[in-house]
Amino acid sequence: MSRADDRRFADVVLPHLDDAYALARWVLGNRADAEDVVQEACLRALRGISGFSGANSRAWTLAIVRNAAHDWLRRNRPAAIVAVDDLEKVERLRARENAAASPPPDDPETALIARADELALQAAIEGLPTAFRETLVLRDVQGLGYREIAEITGVPIGTVMSRLARARDRLFETLGEKP
Amino acid sequence: MTAADDDRLWLNAYIDGELDPAHALEFEQRLAADPALAAAHARITALRGAIRDRVPRERASPLLRRRVAALARPQPAPGWRALAAAVAAAFVAGSALTYVALGPGGSAPVAQDVVASHMRALMASQPIEVASSDRHTVKPWFNGKLPESPRVVDLAAQDFPLVGGRIDVIGLTPAPTLVYRRRLHVISLTALPSKLGAARPHAIDGYNIVDWTDGNLTYWAVSDLSAPELEDFARAFRAGEAEP
Repeated sequence: MSRADDRRFADVVLPHLDDAYALARWVLGNRADAEDVVQEACLRALRGISGFSGANSRAWTLAIVRNAAHDWLRRNRPAAIVAVDDLEKVERLRARENAAASPPPDDPETALIARADELALQAAIEGLPTAFRETLVLRDVQGLGYREIAEITGVPIGTVMSRLARARDRLFETLGEKP
Repeated sequence: MTAADDDRLWLNAYIDGELDPAHALEFEQRLAADPALAAAHARITALRGAIRDRVPRERASPLLRRRVAALARPQPAPGWRALAAAVAAAFVAGSALTYVALGPGGSAPVAQDVVASHMRALMASQPIEVASSDRHTVKPWFNGKLPESPRVVDLAAQDFPLVGGRIDVIGLTPAPTLVYRRRLHVISLTALPSKLGAARPHAIDGYNIVDWTDGNLTYWAVSDLSAPELEDFARAFRAGEAEP
């Protein structure tokens, strides 16, 4: 590893360490695993730093972190990886059933959602399937745009849009239920 | 994919500011006409707000930071952190100084910068970064990006629909810019600290400029609209009610 690579790594990857950790934490669900995966991802990033094109350092870094997190899940928790195609088919059917029942004006669920506390929100997000959870977290917790999320998760923008819509629908179902 | 499916995706994209201005406007008209869509809009907005306000941003621990930094520097140079802090501090001080040094009287370059930003925006594939005619979407977008978010006025009734906003950098000052439209003309309205001065030239390169000062902000309206119409816009904006 040359000094130049080290410097490049410091410029490209280190500024996004908080975002990298946050993504890993949400994908893996706990701090210890997230820290290990971020460290592993950073090692991969350092080795591959000469391949960075200079376009978007955050998306580049987070894509590596996301892949490392998914590799970790496949090794350690294979049950957590549901075939996303199946998942999206089921969701589409469900969405079609729900579409007829869009919320009434002044929907009481909306008020319930607006008041949801931190723990309820966190638990609801943690309950989402991985593909939906990472998309929602990148957008609503970390504030990234669709294009960047598409780059990080390796899917077309249309898929980002549908995953985000379905993730939010699921949260409505969880948070809108009366306690 | 059904029409209802499509609507849900569009609605989400609209709320996330991901639609281009033309589609955002079109969608807003549908939103105004469709109570079910409006209720779904309220629900998504409530969810986004709750997550933004109450789900904390996770941060890397100092230990993780050290472990990762050590990957690249097996023998870290001492005082690296202190050096970085000093550089950051110098940068902040530097930009503050430049800001003061610009002072009043630097207005001709300021006018040029404002017009240049407008031209650059017109040439870009999208003249705005947040696309919405809803000031309750545009104003919060500036929060968190700038210390102060600008006054946003709804002028649709005066035939100047809001299409969105962006942040320009004038000299070294990041400046909130609102984008309005009349017919096919785009109007950029940039707010700058008034100590940067006001416009001397009232047209540069075919673009008209109207400026006014409100408190400690000077507003610069730039457009290829005729001067009288741009004056109308300025009057309407100043008379308009800002959001509460």
